[in-house]
Amino acid sequence: MRLTDYEKAMLNGDHGEIRQQALQALYDLATFYDVDQFVEIVGCHDDSTVYAGEAQVAFAEMLAEKGAKFAVPTTTNAAACDINLWDRQKHDIEVMSATRRIEASHIKMGAVPTWSCAPYHIGVAPSFGQQFASAESNVICYYNSIIGARTNRYAGPLELLCGIAGRVPYFGLHVPENRYAQGLVKLGDDIKPEYFVDESIFNLISYAFGSIVKDRVWAISGMPTLGVTNEILKQFSATAASSGGIALFHMIGVTPEAQTMEQAFGGKAPQETVEIHLEDLANAERQITNPDVTDLDAVVLGCPHASYNECVMVRDLFRGRRVNGNTTFWLITPRSVVDRLKDSGVYEDLVRLGVEVYSDGCILEYRNKKLGTNTMMSNSGKFDTYCFSMRGIQPVFGSMKDCIESAVAGKVVKEAKPWRK
Amino acid sequence: MEKVTVKCKTAVSGNVRAELLWSNEPISFWGTVDPQSGLIRDNRHPNYMQNMSGKVFAFPTPKGSSGTGLIILEQVRTHCAPAAIINVRSDPVVLTGPLIAKRFYGVSIPVVNISEEDYAKLEGAREVEFFEDRDEIDIYY
Repeated sequence: MRLTDYEKAMLNGDHGEIRQQALQALYDLATFYDVDQFVEIVGCHDDSTVYAGEAQVAFAEMLAEKGAKFAVPTTTNAAACDINLWDRQKHDIEVMSATRRIEASHIKMGAVPTWSCAPYHIGVAPSFGQQFASAESNVICYYNSIIGARTNRYAGPLELLCGIAGRVPYFGLHVPENRYAQGLVKLGDDIKPEYFVDESIFNLISYAFGSIVKDRVWAISGMPTLGVTNEILKQFSATAASSGGIALFHMIGVTPEAQTMEQAFGGKAPQETVEIHLEDLANAERQITNPDVTDLDAVVLGCPHASYNECVMVRDLFRGRRVNGNTTFWLITPRSVVDRLKDSGVYEDLVRLGVEVYSDGCILEYRNKKLGTNTMMSNSGKFDTYCFSMRGIQPVFGSMKDCIESAVAGKVVKEAKPWRK
Repeated sequence: MEKVTVKCKTAVSGNVRAELLWSNEPISFWGTVDPQSGLIRDNRHPNYMQNMSGKVFAFPTPKGSSGTGLIILEQVRTHCAPAAIINVRSDPVVLTGPLIAKRFYGVSIPVVNISEEDYAKLEGAREVEFFEDRDEIDIYY
């Protein structure tokens, strides 16, 4: 490998044992992939934060004890639970105590305690073209696709080593030539522009896109270019990352590396083109929704964590009506958004409507058995993809508006849609 | 035992010889492998209820969640990690656990990649041996 003097010194142990070991592990990785240089990163998103066993906690504590520090600004992903309201969420004491140990060790290493899987909603994200390391699938896909920053799919706790070393092997999506689209998904004529008034169609298209594309880099054309908010793109990105393992997609005319077909494909023609139709959206919805649910125990929003604007939308969609007495409504949003909600009075409004607002945690860690929840609904393709394997519940999918109407009724209420026959 | 030597590309090196657990199915350790026992406990997986603890675990490619890194690390802690891993194509997710085990805990779980053709030859083998300083493995039948 071609190493800088600084990297040679790090490998030699001149910058301490932990930096040496971290860079050695990355050096092994680089060697295996025939990579001949490292590239410096501007930041890291630390995903080793949802409790997954003692080894995870012990590894971070060992790093922190030995004086490890992140070399670049590092944000923390969601934890398993709300760090303050864990008891109300019926989390076990063991999970909370492990979470406290994770919190202490990661903060000791210098992480910024964002505890969120949507750090891009709270102003701590890289910029276009910057090199980065993340191990959270929706953050990886959002930063690569929607911002145009560059990260591979790292796996916890490898991203900690990238953050500590401040660099990564220069391969995969860090390299501009590997970021061009190879194939194209086109929308068929039966998917009409007016259907995009309902944002949930983005989730269904994304689910279909992920199922076709798997872990390759592809583009999608024919999507609307006006009124596509970051929140809509977040849902598209999170769902594509979970239905297909996508780390980077290009939305022609929308995302920054795909302003034109030529830019997205690097001047080449797509190697393969697949057209999707209304029937594919109907299939996608069948994959992520449970058609047999009527009475609803819980509605959960915030996968990935809700933005301030989404919290306001939730309040407004209630139009003063309250959550049904038989239904629980959870809204998870970053801590700093909770502070803003409190400052602006929206938090009080939400509480009065019967919404439980939480921060830090992950709704996929929802304790459905302890909470007596058998039926759930969300507006998230990611949540609905993983919920059955993680929680044993097949949830109902709907738009944010469907979710609020259902919460008010205590029963599943869905608008008629062209893909719902 | 009959012995066949095949070339490999080494991701993580080490010396070990152990019994083989061969699979023809991609696997996500996260959600599939019990990190307290090494058992494959997803009933959709063809190796359901087989145990990889202390064995050479061969599977063609990893898939799915990036949580796999933490599961392998937990298996190292609970002493039920595979002795070594053989893939046709490894990704950084599956390498995370073995790389950290080697560099931070001095525990060696060799990981190598072999060609698809050689991978098919592994089926039915009893043991596999790995060498710290050689890009080849010995397969015993």
